[in-house]
Amino acid sequence: MTNAYQLSDIKVFHSKSCVLDIADFTIPSGKCIALLGQNGAGKSTLLSLLAFTTEPSQGSLQLFDQKVTAKLKPEQRRRIGLVSQQPYLLPGTVRDNIHLALQLQGIKSSNIDQRIEHVLQQLNLSHLANQLATTLSGGELKRVAIARAIAYAPDILLLDEPFSHLDHHHVRQLESAILAFAKQANKTVIFSTHDHPQGLAIADETLNLHAGRITNAPLLNLFHGQLQQQLFKTRSLIIHVASELTDARHIAIDPREIIVSHHQLESSMRNSFAGRVILIAEETTTIRLTIDCGEHFQAIISPESLSKLNLVIGCPVWLSFKSTAVTVF
Amino acid sequence: MNYFADSLLAALALISSFDPAIYRIVATSVSISLIASLIAACLAIPCGVTTALNSFRGKKTVQHLLNTLMAMPTVVIGLLLYGLFSRLGPLGHWGLLYTPSAVIIAEAILIFPIMMNLTITAVNSADPRLKPTLISLGASPFSLAYHVVSVTRFAILAAVITGFGRAIGEVGAAMMLGGNIEGFTRTMTTAIALETSKGEFELGLALGILLLLIAFILNFALSWLQGTKS
Repeated sequence: MTNAYQLSDIKVFHSKSCVLDIADFTIPSGKCIALLGQNGAGKSTLLSLLAFTTEPSQGSLQLFDQKVTAKLKPEQRRRIGLVSQQPYLLPGTVRDNIHLALQLQGIKSSNIDQRIEHVLQQLNLSHLANQLATTLSGGELKRVAIARAIAYAPDILLLDEPFSHLDHHHVRQLESAILAFAKQANKTVIFSTHDHPQGLAIADETLNLHAGRITNAPLLNLFHGQLQQQLFKTRSLIIHVASELTDARHIAIDPREIIVSHHQLESSMRNSFAGRVILIAEETTTIRLTIDCGEHFQAIISPESLSKLNLVIGCPVWLSFKSTAVTVF
Repeated sequence: MNYFADSLLAALALISSFDPAIYRIVATSVSISLIASLIAACLAIPCGVTTALNSFRGKKTVQHLLNTLMAMPTVVIGLLLYGLFSRLGPLGHWGLLYTPSAVIIAEAILIFPIMMNLTITAVNSADPRLKPTLISLGASPFSLAYHVVSVTRFAILAAVITGFGRAIGEVGAAMMLGGNIEGFTRTMTTAIALETSKGEFELGLALGILLLLIAFILNFALSWLQGTKS
């Protein structure tokens, strides 16, 4: 399998502060990858770096095993499609925008109309073909931007927060469009989202970013504080951890590793906190509970467990998890 | 009061009678300013767009320099070019002194920083997503500049009109380099200065009214363009 990207010793500085710091990382081709992280984690910076619209302050990038030196060659540029968080459509109609993208990519003028029709049909946008870009709704605008990006059939599609500020219906439409593109042979899709379950639902792999660094931590139940002698002190809790790192400032706990019960459990689990349920959310096949124990924890349980425990909003519960379930970084 | 009112009526009579002397001056003035604006625009727009779209060492210094040049007195430009074009000057053998070409060069130099600075402002005022979008779609440096100019064309046209307005109202350099020769280098502003000094207040006033009319048309065009843009 070839690599879509190979990042080596990448650093990006904004106003002297390092916003992205990736030592060595490889992104394989042909995968749908969700880039997860909180606001300010460096997701947009990483995507613009991968789209070569931002240059790294340090380090080098390889695109399909070819080192990119100063600027992308036109044939390399053609392999990447980027849809930013708030896509910009140029003045004119939907058709004009897609036409421009194809023209800039040097597609033969005899093929342009055919390609426009194909991509409009693919994204169910044919009825908007002659509509002015300024009159589109948020969801339509994002779909048009995706259509414009995939019209020239790039090998890599980069999407920055494609689902933000969209209603459920438009999210489903976009998900299908992205998945349809990703299903094609050797197409790589990298999209950023701060919605963890959504990322897990449609991606083959996830890439977690925190404070500009790639981490294996799940990025849910993420707490900041200080670690001293295997005790991590957050603002209001002390959590037992199994790591002896001394310079760690963050921990994350996999929500699937958290046990929810009505009474305190007598077990080998070293972390046990009393709290109350403040949110119950139904996801595709699971239930996500948010529990206030002084800090807000998220736990994922099955619908059967929810009905067995008879949990409702405000219900007092106990949370338990092992110190080894805590990722320290 | 009678003197002013009588002069105003006489000036209006001169305008309405399509006095050939007046309209020859207007034609000279407009043609010199138009050519100067065209030359300045051809140089200032590419320079402004290139400066706005690229980051380079000394970019801020360029902008400070442009701001300074925008406020440069016209007589200073006239003086410098007079030194260059006069018989004993380094470019004296070109024989440009007291020709429309000298006035055109002076006016083009005068309005170049205005047009370039306003072009930079026009490009910078475009949506910040425009440039990264075009780059991500594969635009070459030339097509990037072309599409940025296309999107900001009204603001850039406003920069050109502002430059033209400055050129047609210029008097110092036109007087020093053109020599105010009737039918050749006599522009509206130099004619107003001359006729007023001769006591021909009516003629000066007639030209002043026409100059104001041109300024009004330009401002109207600017407002219309800004309205179209918004």
